Amino acid sequence: MTHDLVVKALSEGRFKLLDHEAYQLLEAYGIPTPGYRVVSNYEEAIKAANEVGYPVAIKVISPDIMHKTDVGGVALNISSDDEVKRACQEVSSNVKRLAPYARVFGYLVQHMVQGGLEVIVGGLRDGIFGTVVLFGMGGVLTELYRDTSMRIAPITEDDALSMVKETKAYQLIIGYRGMPRRDIYSLVDIMVKFSRLIVDNPQISEADLNPVIMLENGKGSYVVDARFMLKPHN
Amino acid sequence: MATEVLRGESGLRGSNIDALFHPSSVAVVGATPKQGHVGYVIMVNLLGKFKGKVFLVNPRYDSINGVKCYKGLTDVDDEVDLAVIAVPAPVVPQVVVDAVKKGVKALIIISGGFSEVGDEGRRLEDEVRSIIKDSKVRVLGPNCIGVYNAENGLDTFFLPEDRMGRPPKGPIALISQSGAVAAAILDWASRRKLGIGLAVNYGNKIDVSESELLEYFAGNPNVKVITMYMEGLKYPGEGLRFLETARKVAQVKPVIVYKAGRTKASVHAVASHTAALAGDYEIYRGAFRQAGLIEANSVREMFDLAKALATQPLPRGKRVLVLTDSGGMGIQAVDTLSTLGLEVPELPETMQSMLRKYLPPLAIVRNPVDVTGSATDEYYKIVLDSILPTSYVDMALIVALMQIPGLTPNLVNYIIDAKRYGKPMVVVSFGGSALMEKFNDALENSGIPVYATPDRGARALWALVEYSRIRKMLREEVE
Repeated sequence: MTHDLVVKALSEGRFKLLDHEAYQLLEAYGIPTPGYRVVSNYEEAIKAANEVGYPVAIKVISPDIMHKTDVGGVALNISSDDEVKRACQEVSSNVKRLAPYARVFGYLVQHMVQGGLEVIVGGLRDGIFGTVVLFGMGGVLTELYRDTSMRIAPITEDDALSMVKETKAYQLIIGYRGMPRRDIYSLVDIMVKFSRLIVDNPQISEADLNPVIMLENGKGSYVVDARFMLKPHN
Repeated sequence: MATEVLRGESGLRGSNIDALFHPSSVAVVGATPKQGHVGYVIMVNLLGKFKGKVFLVNPRYDSINGVKCYKGLTDVDDEVDLAVIAVPAPVVPQVVVDAVKKGVKALIIISGGFSEVGDEGRRLEDEVRSIIKDSKVRVLGPNCIGVYNAENGLDTFFLPEDRMGRPPKGPIALISQSGAVAAAILDWASRRKLGIGLAVNYGNKIDVSESELLEYFAGNPNVKVITMYMEGLKYPGEGLRFLETARKVAQVKPVIVYKAGRTKASVHAVASHTAALAGDYEIYRGAFRQAGLIEANSVREMFDLAKALATQPLPRGKRVLVLTDSGGMGIQAVDTLSTLGLEVPELPETMQSMLRKYLPPLAIVRNPVDVTGSATDEYYKIVLDSILPTSYVDMALIVALMQIPGLTPNLVNYIIDAKRYGKPMVVVSFGGSALMEKFNDALENSGIPVYATPDRGARALWALVEYSRIRKMLREEVE
């Protein structure tokens, strides 16, 4: 039941989904992502920014760039038409200079979700247990604290909820020291659907939804960045 | 109901697993008069204890110590349910061929020298695998220490009794990946009279797996609690089978697992955050939680929890009455209980004033109830009888330091008497006197688990609360 997007990427010899492909795959499973458009120039970008709503992020789309930020391929917190134009030009020239080898398929203009709690949801394959789903605290200190929990996929809502509860991140989610309570059920929903997604697509070897931004209770959660690594299946 | 489901799954091959634990006849292949040899110890143990027929097999002898010895399995002129094989590895395939021909139901291959030693051993192992492939025979091992069953005296643990004590009959079953660890546990349990009535070590696991053993113990009415010592699963993809089986078993009885090998670095290629965060042990831990297994942090803790789960009813809630003759011990108990998410609620004023009437002026009656160093057996009785049956508490942790002069062994009777309230109780008793030892033994003999320190008693109560949660969760899913 592999999704067409995964088949297509592999047939083109690519081992990672492009950003917009990743979002499309998430959407196919009903996992919410912030509004985005794929554009090829700054005029289209301005139009797209107005459609998805400011502030926006602009990201280069290239199969040859592993870490977009390293080559200046990402511009964040853009809040006006003028800034969109400038950002497009900057990203384009950065990439030409720092990654001259890279094919550029276009730019992604994406609405930026404001003021949520960042968590990570991931998936990987284990030789003994098969597909494993991970939940953890987001942000730069994720790997330091190792505040994570795991289950074997596919997971149920109860599994997802207990995964969240066994981390320290849970204290932040339910509102630590006057911080607002976050929308835990939308996170559980994302985790359950994501576990089905990676079970259905065995060619995905590893995946990160990082970050998932959790808004205040009742306002949902969004997958802001997603990375799907592929491996041709035997 | 769930037990039926479990039995059905393995079908006929599954039913032969029973022959590993309850055979009516056993053949010892590799029986020998040479003292100290593996085949000798097994032979002596079985001839001395096993309640069933024992046949000796070794082509080199006509009889050993006056008992008839057969040339081969096929020469035995009676049915053989189980063959215990203790011959050099290269000879094992021929013995297995004979066993299949003879219609033996199950084999325990004690012999080492298989995949654990290299390519030649691996080849032998594959040969055995292909011999049994199309037969009904079930194989435990190779390279294992086998089975201990206190009930019928089936004992293939090839360690002499003066080195390794044997535990008494009892409701705890042990599944151990390590033979040496299993032997050490049984020895330890025998000194503490802990009822590990069934123990099994599965060695290289060419056929019978820990999943099937779990399934089997789930359906065995003598087993109340299953304990597992595990280093790691072995075959690709078998994790899912283990997870599914464990989930079904945990609905029926508590399974406590201790996983060794927790710190091994991740073996996954790291191209994502997720992979960097996922250690092997973390995956096991997740799977255990998902399956509803109770995880212990050490072998000792595993049996601390098993003891409580084997003897105590499940609590309705998480509120604990802490009854103590030492303020310090009471505080320690509360510390651990609250860390584990259990509650020590303050007793209502009505209860407090009633207790004040009967207890000495210095006693503290809020909960912990501290009957102080001037305590007598009667104080314990008063508190237990007036508080335990009320709806304010779900279980009791009783600290009784026998160093206090007012306490006598009669306290045991009061505590046992409180069993009628149908609520879990654990006792913390610490010290070194013979009096204390007698007190502890009397309690344990009556099914009240005793712990040396408050944190261990608290953790045992936690296991009861945890299993009650697990069972509710798993049963709701089924409905």
